[in-house]
Amino acid sequence: MANSTLPSDDELIPRLLANDETSYAQIVSAYHGLMVHLARAIVGEAIADEVAQEAWVAVLRALPKFERRSSLKTWILRIVSNTAKSRLRHESRTVSMDESLEESPIVDPARFKPNAHWASPPVMWHADTPDALLASTELRSCISDALSTLPPLQRAAVTLRDMQGLSMEAICKILEVSESNGRVLLHRARSRIQMAIEEHEGQ
Amino acid sequence: MPSCKDITEHSSDYLERNLPWWKRPGYWLHLAMCIHCRRYVDQLKLTIGTISKSPDATPPNISTEEIQAIVEKMKQSTKK
Repeated sequence: MANSTLPSDDELIPRLLANDETSYAQIVSAYHGLMVHLARAIVGEAIADEVAQEAWVAVLRALPKFERRSSLKTWILRIVSNTAKSRLRHESRTVSMDESLEESPIVDPARFKPNAHWASPPVMWHADTPDALLASTELRSCISDALSTLPPLQRAAVTLRDMQGLSMEAICKILEVSESNGRVLLHRARSRIQMAIEEHEGQ
Repeated sequence: MPSCKDITEHSSDYLERNLPWWKRPGYWLHLAMCIHCRRYVDQLKLTIGTISKSPDATPPNISTEEIQAIVEKMKQSTKK
């Protein structure tokens, strides 16, 4: 989803405000895939595209009031995140920060001695590069399953940071969380995936 | 010095160089002495690399027809 041909925000925003069709197409081409990716993380596959399309309409409605406190991309993704969260609330499902920031330990406490040092340390993995790990179909599926069972905000954090490479500052703006909560979301998500790989490797 | 449990709880901050400066010497010292925690942190780093290369990491492709359909919806919304 390259956006190397996308004009700068300063050039693009006035054109979008003037309802320039070419600029609409440019921005949709640059960001729609990413918007669906984020929406998928929060609401799931089935309605992600619908949420992203709904967000475009909201973007156009809100654009005249955009204050440029962030990049246009960050602002658009924040609208996607809010649209997705509203959709979950509407469907009486929770986008629970409590669930995403739950106090449960990162690693099973039973793996530590009373002095908090390892009783059951990490096992060696069969591979030491991402490509070698992903060569296993079973492990790919195990990672995918682990990702799909993460709470929505954890899944969104790992999607934006580890898959899309966005900065933590942008991610916290998009998800409307504090920096410390953003870091907790990300670390919990990564740790759950790590534990899923470890369980697979330990079999 | 931090415990092994502390190391696991702050390993993302360590890898992203976000540990507060006063925690860094203890963290480094623990890693220098503890092979299990070095493995844990290495595996977290590997996990992050694996997530970034997993099939789930690629945003869906969007066709020209889909772009056009969304643009039409956007145009309609501005006429309302």
